[in-house]
Amino acid sequence: MEQIRKIFEDIRWGEYSLLALYISVLSGVVVGLQYDPSTPLYSVSTLDMLVPFGAYFRSLHFYSSQLFFLFCICHVIGIFSLAQSYTSRQWALLTATLPVALLILFTGYVLRGDATGFSAGMIAEAILLDIPYVGSTINDLFFSISDNGMKRIYLNHIIGFGILWGWLAWSHIKKYSVSFNRHIILSISIFVFSIFISAPLEPDHLGVTHINGPWFFLGLQELLRYLPPIVAGVIFPSSLLLAIALLRKKHNQFNNLLFFILFWLFFYAILTIIGLNR
Amino acid sequence: MACPETKKHSSTKRKFLLFCASIAALYPIGRFIGYSIPRKPRIIEIGKPIPIGGFHLGTDFILFDNGDITWALSRKCTHLGCTINFHEKENILECPCHQSRFSKEGMVIHGPAKKALTRYKVEKLKNNGGYIVTI
Repeated sequence: MEQIRKIFEDIRWGEYSLLALYISVLSGVVVGLQYDPSTPLYSVSTLDMLVPFGAYFRSLHFYSSQLFFLFCICHVIGIFSLAQSYTSRQWALLTATLPVALLILFTGYVLRGDATGFSAGMIAEAILLDIPYVGSTINDLFFSISDNGMKRIYLNHIIGFGILWGWLAWSHIKKYSVSFNRHIILSISIFVFSIFISAPLEPDHLGVTHINGPWFFLGLQELLRYLPPIVAGVIFPSSLLLAIALLRKKHNQFNNLLFFILFWLFFYAILTIIGLNR
Repeated sequence: MACPETKKHSSTKRKFLLFCASIAALYPIGRFIGYSIPRKPRIIEIGKPIPIGGFHLGTDFILFDNGDITWALSRKCTHLGCTINFHEKENILECPCHQSRFSKEGMVIHGPAKKALTRYKVEKLKNNGGYIVTI
């Protein structure tokens, strides 16, 4: 067990995630040259079917973004012991990069404008609007799909959340540089994988009885079936983020926080499995 | 030369002023982003008649005609806003996200949705000329 832990910690997850981020940003710029947020589904469909190499660049953007987020999670787990030297503020800022990265990923799903993406966006809007006093303003700032279509969500996907993520992570990532040459196998794997596996797209059609949201949203979607949006969509996920932000070895509630995080993840995995099997 | 006590006081004052200015700046920003440009009512013309007991599925609405009455319902689920579909066989409207069910009249059959679907104004044109739906 100790050996597995050592191997896991030695893997350079942080470099991998930065590399995936570079590919994601570059491919995103390419996709953005053809994408039109005023006609999202039409735009994505034409990218897939008409634009030369459109499907490839969309796939590259999609999978490199997914990898970026997954590597980020591995990185947080892998460097947890080392990160004890960080101040509480530094740690809190860095843990805040995770939900922001997830928001970038999520808005990417919504921007597809297909059945899954549109529904996920509407659910997110409904959750935000359920927050008392400030919900409407937050929705106006980030989503506002009902009133503005994909306009604001697109702006935040390409600029707003990117700046926020950069601001939160800058003091950490400015110390590191990653080149494609140092991770040639991973780089080639991402580029080649995207040739063969297309990014998903699920156009709306009559009689569809079930829509599954993005993989990281499935547990939340399931929970929203039973609990009010403010509880399932705001308090429940925020509790995990708060626990991670407070998780320091020197904290006198360290064991309780760790137990809570593991229990939360286990519970979320069960909800995800239930959602997947509906 | 200013004493450290005065310097500290000045710095606190500056921070307080900056804080007040930031709060004051939030008001116009909040008003700006929160303003929704009034939307013109959308008028959608359906140029052909629907068979009696049939329906027409639009992007945002579903139109029914039972011969005597015509009515249009929003396809936005009142639970969390997903787009509902009509299941002709079972004669119900169902949300694909959390399976809330509604009758053809838009009433909730079972949740999690609690409110009925929004109804839109429909005008049936003379001589089976079709319909005009106002959203």
